[in-house]
Amino acid sequence: MATVVAPAIHSIRDTLTSWIKKRVRAKRGPMTPPFVLEYRHIFVLPTKFGWGFGVMLVFMALGGLNFNNNMALILVFLLATIAQLTTLIAYRNLSGLKLETIHCEPVFCGDDAHFQVFVSNQDARQRFAIQAGFKQAQDCRDLKLNCHDSFMLTQPTLKRGWFDMSSFRLETRFPLGLFKAWAWIFPQTRCLVYPEPARRAPPLPNTGHGQTGRAVKGDGDEVHGLRKYQAGDSIQRVAWRASARHDELYSLEMEIPREEACELDWDLLKGGEVEARLSVLTAWVIAADHKQLVYSLKLPGTLVPAGTGAEHRSRCLESLALYLL
Amino acid sequence: MVDRHGILWVIATLFISMLPQLLSMPPHLTLITLLPIGWRLLAEFRNWKPMPMTLRITATAIAVGVLVVTYGGLMGRRAAVSMLVLMLSLKLLETFRIRDARVITSLSLFLCATQFLFSQGIPMIFYIIACMLSSLIALMYLHRAEAFSMLGEAPETDRNLLTELGFGAGLMALALPIGMALFLLFPRWGSPLWGLPEDALDARSGLSDSMTPGSIQSLFMDDSPAFRAKFEGGMPSNSDLYWRGPVLTSFDGNSWKASYLSRNLRAETRPELKTAPFRYVVQMEPTEQKWLFALDYPAMVPSKTKLTMDYQLITLRPVTSLREYVMASDPSFKDNPVLRQTLLREALELPDEFNPRTVEMMSTWRSEANSDSEIIQRALQYFNRQQFRYTLNPPLLSQHTVDEFLFDTRAGFCEHYASAFTVMMRMAGIPARVVTGYQGGHYNNVGSYVLVRQSDAHAWSEVWVRGSGWTRIDPTAAVAPERVEQGAVESIDQRRYMLDFQWLRSARNTFDLFQRGWNNWVVTFGSERQSRLLSIFGWDMPGPAKLVFVLVVIILVIGAIIFMLAPILLKFRSSKKSDPFVQLWKKFTRKLERAGFVTTPSMAAMELATKAGSQLKHNQDVILRIAELYTICRYSRDPGNQAELTDLINRFQPRSSS
Repeated sequence: MATVVAPAIHSIRDTLTSWIKKRVRAKRGPMTPPFVLEYRHIFVLPTKFGWGFGVMLVFMALGGLNFNNNMALILVFLLATIAQLTTLIAYRNLSGLKLETIHCEPVFCGDDAHFQVFVSNQDARQRFAIQAGFKQAQDCRDLKLNCHDSFMLTQPTLKRGWFDMSSFRLETRFPLGLFKAWAWIFPQTRCLVYPEPARRAPPLPNTGHGQTGRAVKGDGDEVHGLRKYQAGDSIQRVAWRASARHDELYSLEMEIPREEACELDWDLLKGGEVEARLSVLTAWVIAADHKQLVYSLKLPGTLVPAGTGAEHRSRCLESLALYLL
Repeated sequence: MVDRHGILWVIATLFISMLPQLLSMPPHLTLITLLPIGWRLLAEFRNWKPMPMTLRITATAIAVGVLVVTYGGLMGRRAAVSMLVLMLSLKLLETFRIRDARVITSLSLFLCATQFLFSQGIPMIFYIIACMLSSLIALMYLHRAEAFSMLGEAPETDRNLLTELGFGAGLMALALPIGMALFLLFPRWGSPLWGLPEDALDARSGLSDSMTPGSIQSLFMDDSPAFRAKFEGGMPSNSDLYWRGPVLTSFDGNSWKASYLSRNLRAETRPELKTAPFRYVVQMEPTEQKWLFALDYPAMVPSKTKLTMDYQLITLRPVTSLREYVMASDPSFKDNPVLRQTLLREALELPDEFNPRTVEMMSTWRSEANSDSEIIQRALQYFNRQQFRYTLNPPLLSQHTVDEFLFDTRAGFCEHYASAFTVMMRMAGIPARVVTGYQGGHYNNVGSYVLVRQSDAHAWSEVWVRGSGWTRIDPTAAVAPERVEQGAVESIDQRRYMLDFQWLRSARNTFDLFQRGWNNWVVTFGSERQSRLLSIFGWDMPGPAKLVFVLVVIILVIGAIIFMLAPILLKFRSSKKSDPFVQLWKKFTRKLERAGFVTTPSMAAMELATKAGSQLKHNQDVILRIAELYTICRYSRDPGNQAELTDLINRFQPRSSS
């Protein structure tokens, strides 16, 4: 019985929810942060526990009315009023909350996109247990008076390119958990999703043109500095004197002036599908960046000139993510 | 999972709500009910796992078995509520999740409501407040535990008992106005949909349909109120306050019982309502019996009540809750001036071969007397002139109760006198019967009503005189006239129990005023009183629809006011004590200020340290180190460096560079 009914109820609920969301969205229009939650954003409905509690109150009221037991009726009426009051309290807990901005770092496809939702409480009242989440609450915060805080929301990514953040809810069930007040947020935040790096990428192509790169840490003859001893470091590299001064082992970090650079070229990868080639290129970019090589990226119609560093890496990855989109 | 704070409040809620029930359960059941609570508390503090299912089921089976054996089944209100209490308590054994904790908290409130079936006295106000407060706090913590469940544990708030209670009290205070409006205006049912089981109370109280020596005496020990009567206009003097109850006609040598005829034949006539001089409203405490009490002779019959031919008011169903009825009485009414033969015979019947000495005395009296009234007078004089004592502890009587009482012991309570007198009359051929009820009462000056307690229970006789019908004769008054003038308790010179003091009794009589007010305004408030209240505002007999409409309007108005007041009343603020690092930092900045460095609140830690360091050159290193440690401690929430930071700040002695 339950196995038949439960999915049906779920599907009805999902349909209803998406219909409501569509209507709300159509009415309110896009809400771009920063904005303050107002009464027209906030909905209040009983929770499952709230419904149960209500049914119990109805039974208590029936008994009280039947026996004309006035103390029982007083109890019921007070509890019902308190329950009703919590709708206002839940509403107040949410209204006036300011959504400042939503921040999101690019991720590789297959990883979760992390959206950091910044909010601020500008009122002189504390807000309790504000939850945020898409379908299920993912994060919860108490917001003190005049404070800034953020919620972390995650969504799985399935393909490269721009990933639009889904609508999410800011919700509270304060103070008794009988009612939930929530606001739908329709963010226009998008997350850049890089292609998934190939697991077994071929080795980096060595097609440098002799540009001199920056000195790179690694096996070399010049001393770069000291670092904590790591498993695998050659015993000859251990800086004994420095290690004796501290209680830990230190090894010398060496560097070699890098003279090579590489060109990551779409055409190097003959055959294969577009996505697979992008995956390999992504893996190469990561590897080249890791080795601090100077590298350039060539895609049909796009050329990222040779460079190095985090900014360069992001530029390469971005053009890979958005290739042909 | 429920956190510790939550579960402790849940347990507190359950315990408070089951308290009245625990007190009225047999001790072994109380113990069984308390065991799971103890286990759960231990489990909380010792981090025990939930009890295995088989063990729980076994425990439940045993507990229910004991309960069924104790109460002889699950029928009856006490047994049913005890079952609820026991089940809730056993539920604690598996309550580790929020859902279960919420079920327990909600059902504790339900349990609280069931307790009002047993008592609606003033002390229950404190009970209702305690239950609600603790359940609100419990629900609040359960909500927090649920909301923060994805993060593990809910962050601490400024929680101490005072703020918790303040939160609950704030909610209740806000709910009070609308709650009261609901109470006054919510449409009530004129008649119940289903009846209360007949054994709603723990035991029957008050007078019953039989009287044996000692039965009224046991009531004499009981100071609980029987009923209260408020007179409109005149009121009879105390010695005429005979509240008529069960009338007992058949005697078996030891006890008096009501006869079938007297309970079932209806009265053919009754006093004219218009000419009845005394009008009053009686507010009767539940007795589980069917008698209503009225002064002789009732001119009105309350609803669902019959007036028997010997003028008892008998209800169709036992009185299980506080009942109020309007009554009028006419003492000059003639009770059956003509009596049917069967009834006459019944009023003369005596068991054979009992009390031979009295039989002999009465036949002598009969032969010496010219009229019935002469015999009656002689009997009263007999009681008055011989050394009869009115006492609480009469000697025990054996077979010939009347003989022994009249000739040997000569000490008794009202029931002895009434019984002996009635037997004497019957032996002399005068129809007589015993009437039980209450005599007197305490007049409360402030509330101007008469309070009649169980200890005012009394028994007297009625003899039938041709022409004037049944006439009341109180033989006790012949022995102890102060009984009818001052009341039974005052007329006996001994303390009934250790704390039976006159001042205590009079204080209690005065304070009964509050109980009566509570009864008046809360306990008996029903559809009738509701419409009476509304008619004060010129609003007669509004239907439920109208009531609900007005209710909604009132709730909206009050709701709007409350919405504006809510922030003032609901102060559940965050911690006023900031975290330890902030306090340490404050200490540090105070020291800097003493050294002449001006700080502003907006300065960030490192900024402040750089500026202070350049000003206080001698301490630059220390200042920078403190700022660094503070930043690490405060923002990475890593208290690892706390000891060093505390130490540095405590030892910090800035020297002014000047």
